[in-house]
Amino acid sequence: MAPGNSNHDLFENLRLELRRGSLILAVMASLQTEQYGYTLRKALTDHGMPIDEGTLYPLLRRLETQGLLVSEWREEDKRNKRFYRLSEDGKAIFKQLLAEWQSMNSSLNGIL
Amino acid sequence: MEILDSYLRAVKRYLPRAQSNDIIKELSEDLRAQLDEKQAATGRPLNDEEMMAFFKLHGDPMTVARRYRQDNRSLSLGWELIGPELFPMYLILLTVNLTITIAAVTIISLIMHAPLNVDAFIVPVLAQIICLTVVFTLLNLVRRKYPQPWYYPPAELAPMLPVSRWYSIAGLVMWTPVIAWWLALPHFPQLILGSSAAHLKLAPTWHRFYVPILLLLVASVAQRVISLFRPNWTWLIPVTRLVINGAGVPILYGLMFKSGALVVVADGVQNAAQYQHLAENVNGTLRWGILGPWLWFYMGISAIIYGYYCIPHLRRLIRRTRGQALSAVV
Repeated sequence: MAPGNSNHDLFENLRLELRRGSLILAVMASLQTEQYGYTLRKALTDHGMPIDEGTLYPLLRRLETQGLLVSEWREEDKRNKRFYRLSEDGKAIFKQLLAEWQSMNSSLNGIL
Repeated sequence: MEILDSYLRAVKRYLPRAQSNDIIKELSEDLRAQLDEKQAATGRPLNDEEMMAFFKLHGDPMTVARRYRQDNRSLSLGWELIGPELFPMYLILLTVNLTITIAAVTIISLIMHAPLNVDAFIVPVLAQIICLTVVFTLLNLVRRKYPQPWYYPPAELAPMLPVSRWYSIAGLVMWTPVIAWWLALPHFPQLILGSSAAHLKLAPTWHRFYVPILLLLVASVAQRVISLFRPNWTWLIPVTRLVINGAGVPILYGLMFKSGALVVVADGVQNAAQYQHLAENVNGTLRWGILGPWLWFYMGISAIIYGYYCIPHLRRLIRRTRGQALSAVV
């Protein structure tokens, strides 16, 4: 394998790793107000965090299984949509995660 | 939205059963919203090719479904043999193959009044497991190197996916030598009889089956040549294979059960009685080993599968014909 390719793959893996944790935070932050999948995805994209539905929906499902989100099927514009929002546990965990992220961010800024 | 429904059905096939309806409902809603947005942007309904381009971008059904599976099961022996994307398909095919194999061995043993014990099942079952595992290990290697193509397009979506050139070339590379072998067989019987060709010869019954089998082989190669130059004629593969396999069933059935000896003692051989025993052995090997009930059975099953793959092409043809008839009336 060419060194250029190898470096690119390595960067891609590390970038995905870095992004994975941030995505959870971004999704939880967005779901402080109720949204359904499609609008959530658009909101994340508009804020510079594009996510494909193949990643978003499994993530939403996982967070719901963990009790951090609650969902409800409801009709809107003559279509059944599944709306998600943070649960009470989710709100508490989100607060903690946000504090952790801010502390890490300031530490990292100090190191850099 | 026929293509969307087909796509969702294909994804559903690989989802965990307990959550599949719920996941599909949500995925359907999201995809419909995206398609609506695209239609609003173009100002007209999307045509089949545009829809297909959208779904290709979205990902092949197996990969999409895999993201929802949290178990991520795979087959590894120190290193990954079959990854989590292919593993569900591997399990489905293995289950189907083993069920058919066990049923076939049982039926054949009962017909032949052979003892029905564990030994009768060991070799065919192990052969199925080993062959399928090797095929999926190779597919896994290819998939890791070229992760994009759809390896298992659902039948309903197949009309939109052109036949890849390497697939046609691989078929040609595989079947052209088989035709050459078959053509050479009457002139060089040792190609099938080996060293026994000095004392044995192909029986006249071969003449009845030689040309029909040659025609099937020629049809198979012709399909690959046409697919190579006309990759968009996707209907050609299921239709030709339905015909080939469907025609192969009575031919092989006749060869297996309705023909006399396939091999007889050659003219002018001394000690003919001694070689008669050899001829019987070779007949048994050809009939039950090489041609065997397996090939006949395999062709029957394949004909059914390709028949199923013909249905969406037929449906599309009817839809188009009706559309043309309607526009002619208007």
